[in-house]
Amino acid sequence: MHDMSVHAGQHHAPPTSFIRKHVFSLDHKVIGKQYYALALVAAFIGMFLSWLMRIHLAWNNAAIPGLQLLSKTGAPGGVMTPEYYLQLMTMHGTIMVFFVLTTAPFAAFGNYFLPIQVGAEDMPFPRFNMMSFWVTFTAFLVLMSSFFLGDGPTLGGWTQYAPLNAVGSVAGPGQGLGVVLWMASIALFCVGQLLGSLNFITTTLDLRVKGLSLMRLPLSAWAWFITSCMGLTAFAVLMPACILAILDHVAGTSFFVASNLVINDQIQPHSGGSTLLWQHLFWFFGHPEVYIAIVPGMGIVSHVLLANMRKQMLSQRTLIYSMGALALLSYMVYGHHMFVSGMNPYSSLAFSFPTLVITIPSTIVVLIWTFSLYGSRLRINSASLFALGFISMFVSGGVSGFFLAQPSIDIMLHATYFVVGHFHLVMGVAAMFGIFAGTYFWFPKMTGRMMNETLGKAHFWLSFVGAYCIFMPFHYLGMAGNVRRYASFVDDYLQPLIPVHRFITVAALCTGAAQLIFLYNLIHSRFRGEAAADNPWEATSLEWSTATPPPFDNFGGKHPVVYHDPYQYGVQSSVGDYVMQASPEQVKSDNEEK
Amino acid sequence: MSQADLTIGHPTGQTLGPAFAIPTKKLAMWLFIIADTMTFAACLVAYGFLRNGTPDWPRPFHSITNVAIMTFILLTSSLTMLIGLRSARAGDKAAAFRWTMITAALGIVFAFLHIREWMGLIDEGMTMFKNPWGTGLFGASFFSITGLHLTHVTGGVIALLVVGVRYKGGRYNADDIEVLGLYWHFVDLVWMFVVPLVYLLNLTH
Amino acid sequence: MTTAEDHKSDGIGKDLIVYVCLLALAGLQFVIAYQNIDASQMFTRMLAVACIEAGLAVLFFMHLWTEKRAFLLFVVIFTVGVLLGMQYGWTDSFRMVTGTPFAK
Repeated sequence: MHDMSVHAGQHHAPPTSFIRKHVFSLDHKVIGKQYYALALVAAFIGMFLSWLMRIHLAWNNAAIPGLQLLSKTGAPGGVMTPEYYLQLMTMHGTIMVFFVLTTAPFAAFGNYFLPIQVGAEDMPFPRFNMMSFWVTFTAFLVLMSSFFLGDGPTLGGWTQYAPLNAVGSVAGPGQGLGVVLWMASIALFCVGQLLGSLNFITTTLDLRVKGLSLMRLPLSAWAWFITSCMGLTAFAVLMPACILAILDHVAGTSFFVASNLVINDQIQPHSGGSTLLWQHLFWFFGHPEVYIAIVPGMGIVSHVLLANMRKQMLSQRTLIYSMGALALLSYMVYGHHMFVSGMNPYSSLAFSFPTLVITIPSTIVVLIWTFSLYGSRLRINSASLFALGFISMFVSGGVSGFFLAQPSIDIMLHATYFVVGHFHLVMGVAAMFGIFAGTYFWFPKMTGRMMNETLGKAHFWLSFVGAYCIFMPFHYLGMAGNVRRYASFVDDYLQPLIPVHRFITVAALCTGAAQLIFLYNLIHSRFRGEAAADNPWEATSLEWSTATPPPFDNFGGKHPVVYHDPYQYGVQSSVGDYVMQASPEQVKSDNEEK
Repeated sequence: MSQADLTIGHPTGQTLGPAFAIPTKKLAMWLFIIADTMTFAACLVAYGFLRNGTPDWPRPFHSITNVAIMTFILLTSSLTMLIGLRSARAGDKAAAFRWTMITAALGIVFAFLHIREWMGLIDEGMTMFKNPWGTGLFGASFFSITGLHLTHVTGGVIALLVVGVRYKGGRYNADDIEVLGLYWHFVDLVWMFVVPLVYLLNLTH
Repeated sequence: MTTAEDHKSDGIGKDLIVYVCLLALAGLQFVIAYQNIDASQMFTRMLAVACIEAGLAVLFFMHLWTEKRAFLLFVVIFTVGVLLGMQYGWTDSFRMVTGTPFAK
């Protein structure tokens, strides 16, 4: 067997048929692009849903033309029912968290660039990799299919709190089959990500080329590695939780339903389960999940910033350790989502303390970025702008985390728009900006063409200003007591806040429209963009030392040897102010961390 | 090709070598075991959570004979797996194949005893949602956890048969038997937690 | 392949010893099951014995003992982490009975 692999030299011969080349491909680069396409479609669906929600919140009785075509019962005459609002909200959250924020920065870019950055030809288990995508794709289809149910998709929110996730359609439209489809979709998604994580970890640990010690890995590769370690353990907990919830539906068990529960004036036949059990299982996954969404962004942003500021990070090692600390701590803090569930104050304290501790590595990461940026001559382009935007969003969203981490304040702010603003900025918009930074930066390598810079910068400024216009007011709404997950705020003390909601809605529509610039740029540049050089950004890591776009086996049958730390910028060499990782050239000010 | 695409791509000497000096397939199996540990841990947390929270938790098991025999069989199958691996390492292909098949046979006996036990419980009126002794959660958690374990055993038996036959045919080698052995020992290891927590804690005194 | 030599050298004797130890420990579980103690005490003892059993199986059946020490250390730390993580759920479960968490 080992002899075979020596003779073969690579895992699999280049495919010739269309199906094996572009559909059921074993090539990690094709799979990465497939993940990206999936995330792109999902992001636009999710964004469209948020538009509908925002319009409904701001103009409660307004008919949205054509909405009745989407759901006759959910939007009779184009006016959304409260239940339909909740259904759209649930799908928005689920699509965005799972199928955009997890797939794009982690699965898409990771699949494409992790093997190249470690100098490998492919991942060790290409078939698992292909399965990983197709299982994830099936999960997406299963989730989407719930839109076509008679009573629509589930309305339980992306957290699917018990007991409403387990009692069936008595809890509302979509709570019967809709929940089952949701649970099945997420369980499938978990399987897909487990297979992906398995490949990522083995790639990073086993396939590094000569000279590429762990500390010489680019920060993006480190981020994907750390994320896959989280993915391996977190998704493995969510999967049985989803299966238990499905059993509650189809096998009559009552894991998540307490005895004598009355819903809609009907006493439920279930007996004896616990609603809190779902929260424990879900948040044990849920908190690592937000770091699964953001850590790849941190890696991508560091990678992009380094290539554009032309100097080294203040301390790459500290950055890596901080990302690792985030990953570890993310398993110790999940109870801060459950402060109002009637926890013992002592256990609130036990969860609050690590939550405050987790701000330390986050702050270290941000400080390293800002102090590294200080005094650098940053090259301003779409990628570096989005990287700066990431830092800005991460700080703005992260600061409110200090407040929410404290039980006494959290009890006030729990389930208000303050929380919504917090997590949209810190993990939603920030991670999206990481995706955009990665897209503008790596698009030339992936397609062989440059993206349009003018459109890219326009996209950045509109998104940047727009995102703040949307999500900053959320914090004020939250402090004013505006609860989340309500379909209307018209007939009570929240009426005076309607102008704020209208402002947010207008901002959301405009910011969403700005994303069409990105879509146009992406598609237009794919076919009409100017041709890209092998190394258009004068960057150093291994993906830039191969052809553009990379050949089937990534390095054209050769095996690169690594001689340098990943980011040798600001040095004197024969090619300019940088040394490629794979270049044997010795430079004078080679101040490598040893 | 099916074999080639499961092996490491680089010609020897081109990479730093595998981490911890563990071959990639074996590392992948360890990683799978880590993920699976989390899955079983989540199930046991769910079971413990519900059991602690239910005052009238039933303790219906009278006899330990069946579960003792099952434990003995599973532990013995781990030993036969080890002997199989040893034979494979020593190059004794026939013995390795034989011991792998014996392991699979023990797995089948285990599954048979398990299903027979399930049938007995179902005859006594225990289902996923109700049982004659108390809260319906007992049946739910019992069938879920032992069912998850039984799924693992079934998968393991199929894998043992496939790997055994392919090993005999020359497609797989001793390393593959070792990787599969890891999985099989892990299934055994999980049983060491399932027996006390799910069976013995629910014994009638 | 890398550890083939180690395996051959110490023969089947060690496996048999570990196997007998595991059988004895499994038997001990059944003895504990018939002790006249309350459930939480029984649970603690059984979990402790199960951990020893699992440790033996991992170390010798799954050959962790002959792997690199760094890997052994990683698995031990991971296992302790999982066992501690499980306490989050278990300790919070009593509030369903008593209304006050941690007050069993």
